[in-house]
Amino acid sequence: MTNKRLLLVGDNPFHGISHLSQERAIARGKNLTDPAYAAGLVNIALDNGAGGFMFSVSNTTLSILKSACRGRKPGSIRLYAIVPYVFEFVRMAVTEGGILGLVKKVGADIITSVNIRAVSHGMKGVITNDPSSLLKAYLLYEETRIRRAAGKAGEISCIFLHEVLTDMAISLDMEWLFRTHIELMQKLGIKPGIHTHNLPSLVKKFRKWGIDTGKITLTTQFNSLGFGMTPSREECEVVLKDIPETEFIAYGVLASGYLTLLDAVNYLNSLPQLTGVAIGVSKEKHAEESFKILSKII
Amino acid sequence: MKTKIAIVGLGKMGLMHASIMGMMNDVEITAICEKNGLIRRFGEKVIPHIKILENLDGFRGMGLDAILITTPPASHYPIIKTIYEKVVARHVFTEKPLAINYQQAKELIGLAEKNGGVNMVGYQRRFSVTFKKAKQILESGDIGNPISFQGHAYSADFLGAKTTKQAIGRGGVIEDSGCHVIDIALWMLGDMKPIKASVKSLLGSGSEDEASILVITNKGIKGELNSSWCKEGYRLPDICLSITAEKGILTVNEDRVQLELNDGKSTVWYKHDLNDTVPFFIGGSEYQRQGEMFIRAIREGQKAYPDFLTAAKVNQLVDAANQLAKGAAQ
Repeated sequence: MTNKRLLLVGDNPFHGISHLSQERAIARGKNLTDPAYAAGLVNIALDNGAGGFMFSVSNTTLSILKSACRGRKPGSIRLYAIVPYVFEFVRMAVTEGGILGLVKKVGADIITSVNIRAVSHGMKGVITNDPSSLLKAYLLYEETRIRRAAGKAGEISCIFLHEVLTDMAISLDMEWLFRTHIELMQKLGIKPGIHTHNLPSLVKKFRKWGIDTGKITLTTQFNSLGFGMTPSREECEVVLKDIPETEFIAYGVLASGYLTLLDAVNYLNSLPQLTGVAIGVSKEKHAEESFKILSKII
Repeated sequence: MKTKIAIVGLGKMGLMHASIMGMMNDVEITAICEKNGLIRRFGEKVIPHIKILENLDGFRGMGLDAILITTPPASHYPIIKTIYEKVVARHVFTEKPLAINYQQAKELIGLAEKNGGVNMVGYQRRFSVTFKKAKQILESGDIGNPISFQGHAYSADFLGAKTTKQAIGRGGVIEDSGCHVIDIALWMLGDMKPIKASVKSLLGSGSEDEASILVITNKGIKGELNSSWCKEGYRLPDICLSITAEKGILTVNEDRVQLELNDGKSTVWYKHDLNDTVPFFIGGSEYQRQGEMFIRAIREGQKAYPDFLTAAKVNQLVDAANQLAKGAAQ
């Protein structure tokens, strides 16, 4: 590993989720979903070597971000945001009455966000029934929410499209979705990011479509166990080596707590192509020790 | 030759099944049927290479091999009936539950038998590596015969919901999420019937938010199956079954299998330990395996499981439990 490798604190524990076990998530208690407590953890990680925060954009994470950024130097936190927060959207679709109810709710939020560009893209999208304009409206709305929460302390380095959206788009040949995202992010001066669970399939499609992976950031799971690496660890590693020009953020390096930090470090050190690593923390001691160790060793 | 499929419903489940099918080499998504005009028009722009039709009649003459139904439960019965009666396609997959009551389910079994194709219902938990492992352990006989069991289907979907409209729209909690734990219990322990049941409304205005069913299997094993969609802490839905047997306790949910033997030995298998890999991942690896089984069954002329006959047992148990709960409330 090189010293340039970026360390990010991840947000998964703050959503009350553990991909190792539901019991573990419940046992962690409510503290973690309290924005003030979670912001404290982010700050401890930042003080001990983390360079930024990687998070799915939701009201909870934006509250955490707002709290964490308070009192920090301008531009001192690099932000790697993932949109939409699909699990929250699925929950909203359940409680708001299906996809239509969800669309109405998000539409209303965009209008009340008073982001003129977002509203204008949204109106164009509705009038012309143009998904690309609607996507732009949504992305601009999220970008504004992040900026408002982060203030001057946070610098949006990258906005990722969430894996569920990305992987659906790969399968259903929605090339327009990727092109719209990349084009808009480049206009905004933000690195376009793609979050995927299916790295080899994504890269294969991008090559077919002629989308340059050198201009984007990719994030996917990487761990010695191959957990969450589809279709296999070996195939993901081959693709990683095959696109050295791409910025790559690994997450899930502890396989949701199944592996030790030492396992993770040993594995990460065997993959110099990874440019960054995101790790979630759930306790103050954990946040301090993990990032202290990681920043020294990798 | 590619298997030509169509999907009914362009909601989240429709998109997920389309994505799974879309990545299978020898499957072609020929068309999607979506009743809502707004979603249909939007869908035409989002995935222009797939035909999006307003009703099932449009599927006729397309030479479809199979149809996947992903619409709300109340629509399953009329849609499947139409598919079979108008011979739109020979093979049918429907999301769970098969129908909204046992009477409808029985009719659909009859139609499916007459039709002769592959039929399958989306109780996807059976394809999860942890539940498969638990069934394997139970069938190995290593823990002896089951003595009792307890299961739950918990989520926080409606925890703190301000209105009951959406909860009522999904039917009761037993039909909606409770059916998963009922299916798993039937799969692992065999046929059973309810002996006592209660349903509670937590949100008000007639919603059915929490339920408890006491059951007995044909072998005389008693168990309790609970469900709730207002459960604190269950940010993700949790389906869990714990079986107390002669030599120990076997507990399984989506994340892990735990075997605690009476001699004090305990073993835990997480998903991580059970080779939970698939060629393409979206929504959960179990959905991919379920889809693969459906397509393989079509190609190889085999049966797919759970089929309509198997899934109807869930309807039968749910109907009987609801009757008992109504009786108890009066």
